[in-house]
Amino acid sequence: MSSGDSYLSKRAGGMLIAPLFVLLLVFFVYPLLLTVWQSVYENGFTTRPYEELLTSTLFAKVLRTTFDISFTATMVSLFVGYPVALHLSRQPPGRRVFYLMLVMLPFWTSILVKSFALTVLLGHAGIVNQILGYLSGDTLHVTMVFNRFGAIVGMINYLLPFMILSILGSLLAQDPNLARAAQVMGAGAFRIFRKITLPLSMPGVIGGVIINFTLSIGMYITPALLGGRKDMMVANLVDFYTRQTLDWPLAAAIAVVLLVISGVLVALLGRVRGGSGTMGAMA
Amino acid sequence: MTTELAEKSVAADTGSMMIEVHRLTKQYGDFRALDTVDLSIRKGEFVTLLGPSGSGKSTLLNLISGMTSPTSGRVVINGVDATDMPTNKRGLGMVFQNYALMPHMTVFENIAFPLQVRGMKKAEIETRVAEVLKLIQLENVANRRPRALSGGQQQRISLARCIVYNPSIILMDEPLGALDKKLREDMQLEIKRLHAELGVTMLYVTHDQDEALTMSDRIVLMRNGRIEQQGSPETLYFKPDTVFSADFIGSSNLFQGRLEGEGDTVTLTAGKDRLAVELRSEAAVGPGDEAVVLIRPENLHIADGAIPEGTNVVTATLLDTVVLGGVVRHFLRTEDGRQLVAQVLNRSDRARPKRGAPVQLYWQVGESRLLKADPTFSKQ
Repeated sequence: MSSGDSYLSKRAGGMLIAPLFVLLLVFFVYPLLLTVWQSVYENGFTTRPYEELLTSTLFAKVLRTTFDISFTATMVSLFVGYPVALHLSRQPPGRRVFYLMLVMLPFWTSILVKSFALTVLLGHAGIVNQILGYLSGDTLHVTMVFNRFGAIVGMINYLLPFMILSILGSLLAQDPNLARAAQVMGAGAFRIFRKITLPLSMPGVIGGVIINFTLSIGMYITPALLGGRKDMMVANLVDFYTRQTLDWPLAAAIAVVLLVISGVLVALLGRVRGGSGTMGAMA
Repeated sequence: MTTELAEKSVAADTGSMMIEVHRLTKQYGDFRALDTVDLSIRKGEFVTLLGPSGSGKSTLLNLISGMTSPTSGRVVINGVDATDMPTNKRGLGMVFQNYALMPHMTVFENIAFPLQVRGMKKAEIETRVAEVLKLIQLENVANRRPRALSGGQQQRISLARCIVYNPSIILMDEPLGALDKKLREDMQLEIKRLHAELGVTMLYVTHDQDEALTMSDRIVLMRNGRIEQQGSPETLYFKPDTVFSADFIGSSNLFQGRLEGEGDTVTLTAGKDRLAVELRSEAAVGPGDEAVVLIRPENLHIADGAIPEGTNVVTATLLDTVVLGGVVRHFLRTEDGRQLVAQVLNRSDRARPKRGAPVQLYWQVGESRLLKADPTFSKQ
């Protein structure tokens, strides 16, 4: 119970995490603080960048677009991911590990490579359009890249593993006897899903939604490569102010706003996780 | 031909039979979890499947509940062939060891669940749930979550959830396994009381012989996927057919040796001891055969003066004495190293033999039981 029980003393444990701590301090915390500093300091303390953001129609529009795209991508990811997680939860452990590797595959591939691969697949002369053209006698062509559809497809490719793993966790934590008991009591498969499996998986669903949304609002490369000109996201706006207009304080302020939003979401996630943890312990 | 006949005779007397299992087999790869088992359970009967882990008792229960399907054989429930029927159509009730209460529902919602499945009206559900909560004497917990209750209370809720929809059969899979001893004994009586009050058929799985002896109308003792012996608790205790039955139920003193002599009473030679035993035709052993003689601890007496006629006598050393409240157990060892147990009622006025002292043990020839030797079974 007390730290004296663990075989590593507090000091030895501290030594072990020291290298990582220093690394994070130098390459994560320091730049982060620098960004915050830059957003409030221009030859003296200023609130100019934040005031400008408050009145900027461009920022408001981009923020709305970001939320819009993130929400859509998250919802699609939820509805595509839930059945996959459900299927995985019902596999024997050995096969589940194999399927999980397939789910994780996009994870191990560079975002750039994936984005270009999707362009090849979905582009005007891409495989999908070639098939559609062949089937429709060259009358049907769907524009699937360099617009919102492309951006969302690319994002989902990245988001799905997070959604699936989160939901799978809360599905596997369920006592299999609950479904068996319901079956013996006469409940059919649909009722068991609606009344038992689904409600008990809600912590995983909420967790997955928050993770996906948090990841989405910060996305940069995928929407830049696969999205249309109108679908500028907040991260792309940061890039715009940094490189095009060289207004670094404004770029820093946008980054801080994004950081605060993500921070709030992650804090929410902690509460959901805490809740699901206690639920799991009770079951 | 024979199976056809069996099926016909089954169809004839299904009227009083709640569960009938015909030549039921379950094979998992090379492992035969259940091996051509036949079993019939009457309406209102309390039957216990008893056996060590891996004996097939849970497999049999799962085949009856429909959670696994058999490799071959039939399951008939209430006169209807249910072999290929899905679990939720079998009209059963089941109580699990870990209660299996829905953690996101209140006690009321848990008990109401099977009634909602049956499309019952809201008002009627409320009456029925209230009734059944009263029956298990837990009227005040309807709005609590299961996890806010003790293990014993949770198991009573899970019983209530079962009896509320009057299933024809209640299956119980080691329902008291997670409870401590005192609570387990209370719950045994509670389940017996509910069984008597409701007249429901119960099929109870346990590996605890005391539980089986306390609760059952009939015990079905299982071993290696087969039924070793079945009968009333008295039958299994006093008239075991096999060495395995004798050893699994109650404590036993076993002497193994070769039979010699003629007539109804023959001699069994076990080490240095020559013991008189009565032949039994059902035991299917005779002179020249390897056999086992069983003496229950309460029939093994420590000599205190003269030894009566018609008894076998062996000499042993007292190793230890354990007082179990109302009874005293003496643990002894014969000269050739055989461990024996003798049990007497505890009396405050009786002097007990000293530890390490040599004692004479005797038993009435008629109170021992001759069994066929089982080469696949060894007590040690």
